[in-house]
Amino acid sequence: MYGRASPLLFGNLMKKTVQGNFHQIKAPLLFLLPNILIFVIFIIIPAIQGLRMSLTEWGVFTEPTFIGLANFKELFQDKVFWRTFSNTLVFSFFTVALMMLYSLLLALLLNKNALRGEKIFRSLFYIPSLLSMITVGIAWRFILGDEMGIVNYVLRSFGGEGIHWLTNGNLAMASVILVSVWAGAGYYMVILIGGLQAIPLELYEAATIDGASPARTFRSITLPLLKSTLLVVLVLATISSFKAYELIFVMTKGGPGYATKLIVQQVYQVAFMEDRMGYASAMSILLMILIGLVTIVQFRISGKDQDYE
Amino acid sequence: MKKIAVFLTILLLATSTLFAAGTKEEGTKETTLSVMWFNDANESDVFMKTIDDYLKANPHVKVDLQVVAYSEYDQKLKMMISGGNPPDVARISTNTLSVVVDSLEPIDGYVDDIEKVKQEFLPSMVAFAMNKDNKLVAYPTEATANGMIVNKTAFDNAGIDLDAVSKTWTWSEWEKIVSNVIAANPKMKYGLAVDFTPHRFSTIMYQFNGHFLNADQSAMEFNNPGTINTLNWFKHVHDSGLVPKSVWLGSENPAELFQAGLVAGHIGGSWNINTYNKNVKDFEWKVVNMPKAAINSSVPGGKFVASFKGSANKVEAQKLMAAFSDNAHNEAYCLDTFNLSSRADATIDYPSNSKDFDVFLSELKVTPAFTANEWKNTNLSKVTTYIKEQIVEVLLGNVTPEQAVANVDAKGNTYFK
Repeated sequence: MYGRASPLLFGNLMKKTVQGNFHQIKAPLLFLLPNILIFVIFIIIPAIQGLRMSLTEWGVFTEPTFIGLANFKELFQDKVFWRTFSNTLVFSFFTVALMMLYSLLLALLLNKNALRGEKIFRSLFYIPSLLSMITVGIAWRFILGDEMGIVNYVLRSFGGEGIHWLTNGNLAMASVILVSVWAGAGYYMVILIGGLQAIPLELYEAATIDGASPARTFRSITLPLLKSTLLVVLVLATISSFKAYELIFVMTKGGPGYATKLIVQQVYQVAFMEDRMGYASAMSILLMILIGLVTIVQFRISGKDQDYE
Repeated sequence: MKKIAVFLTILLLATSTLFAAGTKEEGTKETTLSVMWFNDANESDVFMKTIDDYLKANPHVKVDLQVVAYSEYDQKLKMMISGGNPPDVARISTNTLSVVVDSLEPIDGYVDDIEKVKQEFLPSMVAFAMNKDNKLVAYPTEATANGMIVNKTAFDNAGIDLDAVSKTWTWSEWEKIVSNVIAANPKMKYGLAVDFTPHRFSTIMYQFNGHFLNADQSAMEFNNPGTINTLNWFKHVHDSGLVPKSVWLGSENPAELFQAGLVAGHIGGSWNINTYNKNVKDFEWKVVNMPKAAINSSVPGGKFVASFKGSANKVEAQKLMAAFSDNAHNEAYCLDTFNLSSRADATIDYPSNSKDFDVFLSELKVTPAFTANEWKNTNLSKVTTYIKEQIVEVLLGNVTPEQAVANVDAKGNTYFK
């Protein structure tokens, strides 16, 4: 029967629909609103402003002048920028790869009460990620310094030669990568422990009953079920590595020469030392596009057969 | 009529009282001056100590002191100025002065006789503090000079009469002498540490007759025989192990190397006297004349206090600066911070190191005048970091000195268009 609905029935239906609409759409939106506002104010609007600035010639004390795409044209011929670009890729690739391996190893070791004093170890490995990167940089410069560094002092005390940790270009890059991994791994370890603890224990029990080796258990159970957490770690570590600045600046000032100079330091230098805000904005826009592209690729590759149960 | 007269008298008295009260309120209005400072050693503490009597005599004035690390100082100051929120008073170095000079409030509107004020300070310092309209925009506080501080004990151990040899030595003579010093002191590894800054590099460059800019300062001219010779020499002393690579290639602090007794000498500045007085206990040190290349030269510099066009408390800021810069306060400040005074009439009896200050002053006297003008140039300040990078590229052997100077000129000249 498709008769005309009574006003009472229609009223109740509307009420339910509106309530449902509120609970399902509006309420979550209201809860998200503060975050959305913060995101818009501090990310979206500055990004749009940055894009606008990148089309101008602008010093701190002068009015911006619109110059179209001239900054981007200059950027493509700027050898120093491309050197910092390739340094950034090298730094990010090795930092993220080592960071993931090291933090996963730590998480696996400190997840199942396999070690005595596990909580103490977790804290010890986590502490570096709480420190300011400037503090970490100063401490490691004191450890790795050519003449005044502790490591070289010990080596020389035993009759050895000092190692040029920070004055040889390749070693300097390796040093800042290893220190970055040391400083950041604790944070990702905590995320991965969270992921490991979410894996049902029954699966491991079943694997043990079936006689699966630890390696097979890791390959067939842990890794697939940790994939979504690993993806989060991958994306966070990548974004963080692209934005690295303080630690490297304190340890090497980007040197020797340009050996450890990354894009962010070049942006800072161009903006504040050379007083070219527009050109620095163009660099930032390119960095933003790079991070966006890398993140999309990571999601595409890692998330292809993702199981978001 | 009588009533009207009485009424007018009362009205006059009442309004006079009101105006008088208003004036009093204006003069004693509670003011908090935001003051930004950086430290070479203990300058911010000494500044507060120095102005203590002024603040007691002017209880309506308070100082909100913000101490910022020198490495972040320029950036922070620029952002505050461009954001329309500059401090009321700031300590400013010569380098920073060239960048912010157009934002500084001229002093002439706040003093009775600006010419008299100018005459109170060293002419070279006044020259730094003039804006393009030829107005004084900052009070000079300390004069600085680059120079060489050496480990006297190490020279004594090598049987070298430091006072005698340093009177007329050249850089080639210095190489031989300092090699003997290293040989005679087992702990000592190097002859000289040079601060990792283009400013300190330029000390040697000027001695080799080099320069950054052309004569009328309208373009870069880093590509000149003097500068190329300096770069070749600088690479040579690094490669031969007389100068530690860890400073220019690894950002190690040369003052720490000197204090540890690892280097025989340090090309730094007059401000290092304060630091070494406090920290060096294991050996005797002193300031000596730098070796000669083509000429003798130092690099003049200084520190200043200034207020800004955008300051909300210009009058009180200017009063505070004037008081801080008068003879008594300036002498007290320079005495406690172990700095050379910028005042022409200063007679400071330092408890020690008077002879060291005399050496710095004697080096300043033979320094060519154009050196100050170069370091006052706003466009040069934009390219100094790139110059530093190119010098390191030369030291690494990645570019030749000729390529480096050409690169610097090409980039630097984009700022002179």
